[in-house]
Amino acid sequence: MKEVRVLIVDDSKVSYMMLKKMLEKTNFKVCDHAKDSKEAVEKYQIHKPDIVTMDMNLPDGDGIETSRHILKLDPTAKILMISAMKDVSLMIKGRAAGIRSFLQKPVDANEFIDTLLLLYQNEMNLRNILEESYIKPLVKIFQRELFKLSGLQGKMMFEETVDTDFDVTGTGIILGLTGKTAGRIIIYATDTTMVEFARLVLNLSDDDDLSDEAAQDAFEEAANILMGNYVSKVNDVLKDNEIRIAPPGMISGTKIRILNAKLKSFKITAKTRIGDLEMNVGFAGRQD
Amino acid sequence: MDVKFVNPFINAITTVLPQLGFLTITRGKLSTREKAMPSLGVTVLVGFTKSVRGNVAYNMTKEAACKIASTMMMGMPVADFDEMAQSAISELSNMVTANVATNLASMDFEVDISTPSLTLGENFSVKISDMQYLVIEMNIDGNLIEINMDLH
Repeated sequence: MKEVRVLIVDDSKVSYMMLKKMLEKTNFKVCDHAKDSKEAVEKYQIHKPDIVTMDMNLPDGDGIETSRHILKLDPTAKILMISAMKDVSLMIKGRAAGIRSFLQKPVDANEFIDTLLLLYQNEMNLRNILEESYIKPLVKIFQRELFKLSGLQGKMMFEETVDTDFDVTGTGIILGLTGKTAGRIIIYATDTTMVEFARLVLNLSDDDDLSDEAAQDAFEEAANILMGNYVSKVNDVLKDNEIRIAPPGMISGTKIRILNAKLKSFKITAKTRIGDLEMNVGFAGRQD
Repeated sequence: MDVKFVNPFINAITTVLPQLGFLTITRGKLSTREKAMPSLGVTVLVGFTKSVRGNVAYNMTKEAACKIASTMMMGMPVADFDEMAQSAISELSNMVTANVATNLASMDFEVDISTPSLTLGENFSVKISDMQYLVIEMNIDGNLIEINMDLH
């Protein structure tokens, strides 16, 4: 591992010295010490450290506000919040601000190093791991299953959609993912596209009737088959993973906002002659 | 649908919520539903896998969600269902559902829970099962949370 630069934000000289000492003989190198909020923002810009450890109480503000400033300047900043007590409201505020890691005082040396390591590696690798191991296979399976189920040729596209909420108008199938890579998948389409798709899946002729409910059921079943195949494929390749899917849930309506609350998410679109079939995959991170 | 899963939810709510600053937690009526339900405005879906499978939908109005978020933030005013309130409701459903998972483990059911899906809107429906499923109403300091559960 290359040297990882850490900026310590703490108004107490003693705490700073203690944290610094813990990182001796590791690949984490303390690049500087900021004693208050103002200095933290300034020194972040000067050093562009790989990780910031942030004390909650600073003489001229709190750690969350300071983190918010830093994340505004650099949304990829990796911040570890260190607070005196475990406080849920603090964690909620911190998460909402974009802080990904929390530690409680007194800080244990091993836990500190482990947390830094996870924070660094996870953030650096997570996107690549997710894209290579999970998203690219999903794009292929989506395209293949779409063809097998409905005969539709999909022109596939995918993009990363970090921290972006989105709206569903029509019908969406929600499938929870559990295992080391927890998350959720939503497969959605407008009702016109969903009904057309269902007619193809059910192999109906133009004269056959299809109720909205039966169309939604077929859509749900198709989503379930698609994801079932995907999960068994991923579990085959990544042996230690054991992803499981929860049974499908369905949402239906107009302008349903899906909140992407701090998920690493990707949008996959299959452009077809009957319209777009879309999929949004969100991962919460890995529990290694 | 299985009534033996009701108590793990009620226990989870009555254990977790007082720790977050809620004072009066009472159980309302228990009923059954079939097919889709109307979202009250904010609906959080959590999936279960392993030895108990299914979905749970926590359903509440936007106003109730804001008030609940406000209590969790130690009384900070929450006028709009903003990022902070979303984070609070997400955290709440995580904490309650994780506690449910612990309760189920003590009944010898090993379960895993998915990331919560937060959905929000004026007019939409949510379906968690094709069969009959259970609805537990919980009253949290005057705010209604409807727990729709289909687990088996």
